[in-house]
Amino acid sequence: MGRTWWGSEKPPVYNFPRMKPTVLLWVILLIACGTLSAQWLKIPTPGIPRTPDGKPDLSAPAPKTAEGKPDVSGLWQPAPGYVENVAKDLKPEDVPMRPWAQMLYQHRRDTLSKEDPTGWCNPGGVPRSDAVPYPFKIVPAAGGGEMMILYEAVHSYRQVFMDGRALPKDPNPNWLGYSVGRYEDGALVVESSGFVENSWLDNGGHPGTESLHVTERFKRKDFGHMDIEVTIDDPKTYTKPWTVTIPLKLMPDTELLEYICTENNKDLEHLVGK
Amino acid sequence: MRLLLALLACATMLPAQWLNLPTRGVPRTKDGKPNLSAPAPRAANGKPDFSGIWALEHPPCPPEGCGDYLGGPEFLNMGVHLPGGLPYQPWAAELVKKRSADQGRDDPVAQCLPSGVVRILTFPPPRKIVQTPEEIVILSERDVTFRQIHTDGRPLPVDPSPSFNGFSVGKWEGDTLVVQTIGLRDTWIDRNGSPITEAAKLTERFRRVNYGRLEIELTVDDPKAYTKPWTVTLKQEIVLNTELLDYYCNDNEKDAQHVSAK
Repeated sequence: MGRTWWGSEKPPVYNFPRMKPTVLLWVILLIACGTLSAQWLKIPTPGIPRTPDGKPDLSAPAPKTAEGKPDVSGLWQPAPGYVENVAKDLKPEDVPMRPWAQMLYQHRRDTLSKEDPTGWCNPGGVPRSDAVPYPFKIVPAAGGGEMMILYEAVHSYRQVFMDGRALPKDPNPNWLGYSVGRYEDGALVVESSGFVENSWLDNGGHPGTESLHVTERFKRKDFGHMDIEVTIDDPKTYTKPWTVTIPLKLMPDTELLEYICTENNKDLEHLVGK
Repeated sequence: MRLLLALLACATMLPAQWLNLPTRGVPRTKDGKPNLSAPAPRAANGKPDFSGIWALEHPPCPPEGCGDYLGGPEFLNMGVHLPGGLPYQPWAAELVKKRSADQGRDDPVAQCLPSGVVRILTFPPPRKIVQTPEEIVILSERDVTFRQIHTDGRPLPVDPSPSFNGFSVGKWEGDTLVVQTIGLRDTWIDRNGSPITEAAKLTERFRRVNYGRLEIELTVDDPKAYTKPWTVTLKQEIVLNTELLDYYCNDNEKDAQHVSAK
């Protein structure tokens, strides 16, 4: 068995004729960037529960770490749709943008995301990197050290420090921010800040600034399913925090591939706006 | 050389801003200084723990002090310590001569492509090893990229998709981690342009000599590019009280326009 994409044995099939131009643009972009990802790996994942016929038992209970904490490790794939619009399950009034942010968002919509930093192969950021259709791997913290999130997209990573340190007060801004994690109420809670001033929270261009603080609550429901409850708190951009839930599926019996965005990058010539 | 320096200077802007984070659990001498010759730490499973931030050993600094983009000699020439250098096949020797004459113009990293399985161990910006029982991850400051070494007992895949980092599995032999890698694609393994091909099989023996040193004995068996297998030891020194920075090659990238042959 190769990779399973949300109930299908094939990667997502996009319906071009019904597609909005912005979505079409993203499909072109994903295809352009994703040529390597077309070669699926089939590697049995050691240590996952299996049904008597040898298939991964994705409804088995969620595992725990040796210390009895929720174990969120594994190769995960987000549900479709959130990468285009991370707030797709919310009403516009639930995402109250300040006037400047509303204007910028409208500009990004009107120009079909042509200024999207990922067109230049920069990382998506948080929560966008949690929502792209490519998988990411959570490698658990050993000995109370760092948990790592390895992203297939752009072949990048985040470190989540689990040693109780505080978030840095005035760090160099970066695309993926700085992250610290803790366990709380059966969830892994990751707090992140230190982002760049021109964050895009999704392909649509919901803005984020250096005042962005993201809280991700990783809640593993069973062996094969997890939700990330993402709270966006960016007072410079939004008049109040807002929260979305991104469902994830475990991808068994495969591995991360090398997604080298820079190689043969054809995005920029397609990011032309209207 | 001047162009190479210009290229390196472009790439050093971010790493010049150091973070000051005390490394936890550093063994210390009586006077409170880090005791780098203390025994190698061990993980919960009893294996030596390679975790830490590492930089390739470099020659002593000149009297005026070191620059902030310190590279070990293997970054430029992987065979610098081998008598007679790397045993290139004739075509590979010609290629290296041409790449050197071109001042490394076609170096994949100048196009922000990955440094790959070997150069992730030799690039001047440091690397961080994070070790878990199931896998060892090498996080690279350069380009915020990573390499995985699986230690969960899985076999090497039969015919993996060729990639810059290949597919690596590791097995413990006493206190040495023996890592086998296949599935590589043609790329460069040093700044001189020494090649590696899809035929390559790599064996790396990771050994943490003491708290402050990690030695990686690398054997490259690539009959397409080299007349015989060769072995070099990449000596890494621990880097304390800092963290990896985010060095995004693609962010405001200006190298490509400066890279040209003479």
